[in-house]
Amino acid sequence: MKRILVIDDAATVRLYHRGILESAGFEVTEAVNGIEALERVAEAPFDLYLVDVNMPKLDGYGFLRELRAKDLPQAPAIMVSTEAGANDQKLAYLTGANLYLVKPVRPGRLLSHVHTLLGMTPSSEGRTS
Amino acid sequence: MGLKKPQQTSASSSDERRQSRDLPGLLAALGDPDPMARRWAARDLAEHADASGGLVERLRVETEPSVTQVILTSLTRLGDEIAVAGLTDCLRSEDAMLRNAAIEAMKQLPDEVAPLMGQLLEDPDPDVRIFAVDVLESLRHPRVEDWLIRVITEDAHVNVCATAVDLLGEVGSERATLALKDLKSRFADEPYIQFAADLALKRIGGD
Repeated sequence: MKRILVIDDAATVRLYHRGILESAGFEVTEAVNGIEALERVAEAPFDLYLVDVNMPKLDGYGFLRELRAKDLPQAPAIMVSTEAGANDQKLAYLTGANLYLVKPVRPGRLLSHVHTLLGMTPSSEGRTS
Repeated sequence: MGLKKPQQTSASSSDERRQSRDLPGLLAALGDPDPMARRWAARDLAEHADASGGLVERLRVETEPSVTQVILTSLTRLGDEIAVAGLTDCLRSEDAMLRNAAIEAMKQLPDEVAPLMGQLLEDPDPDVRIFAVDVLESLRHPRVEDWLIRVITEDAHVNVCATAVDLLGEVGSERATLALKDLKSRFADEPYIQFAADLALKRIGGD
């Protein structure tokens, strides 16, 4: 089963994303900020990261910078933000995001991108076999 | 083996701290090329009631994160009108780290930030309104629920409402029930709003 780390300081957003991803068969782990996310990464690798931009302690950019500097297999990252500005998107890609989505994220759209980034078809249902 | 501090750095920092008793000297030191000197100056300026203007001015151009953090801490300790206005300006920054640090600093100043909240929640920039709602998260002010209800009732931007409804689910009471139901009607096509409003209604016992 593919493992996804959902990183967001808002509990409701984490729950929303968890529901969407679990309904499609993914295993979801949560982190409330970049620091906690790095701790989760140190425990076990993930197949994809869903990263909020604005978080206390260590924001999404900071998390991705540190993640990309690590000597481990690099998984795709989707950055999600309320900010639709070109500068925000550019910074996200420069930092190491594979995709930048503006909130609110619709379930079908999120799953479509997740499947694409993981090289899966929707019928794969998050499972590797 | 213990690490030996370079003598020059040690002497330099003690020099900077000697100057720190003097307001004009400290304000000048905020422009020092050495980040350590700027950090000491920013820290010691928290003891000077008239230092907010200089700290805010430096905050706009400071590039060293550790100095920025100390400036924000000093502004939080000073907490006067100029300091709060300076922190508020940071909400418009392109620098996410600065914005987040300013939000955390503003949360420490409920009485000082409260008079500005109405204005921030009506800012033409939806990002500023979202950050203002973020500030409300830990503001510990008696009007927080009223502000949030007003946001989800009046604000036309989905993400401002989404941020407010998240928080309302945590701090709201049954008073918010009607506004939450109206919000669901206003954004009937937004799955996230439906999800978050339903969750908030469940939490406050309004559904």
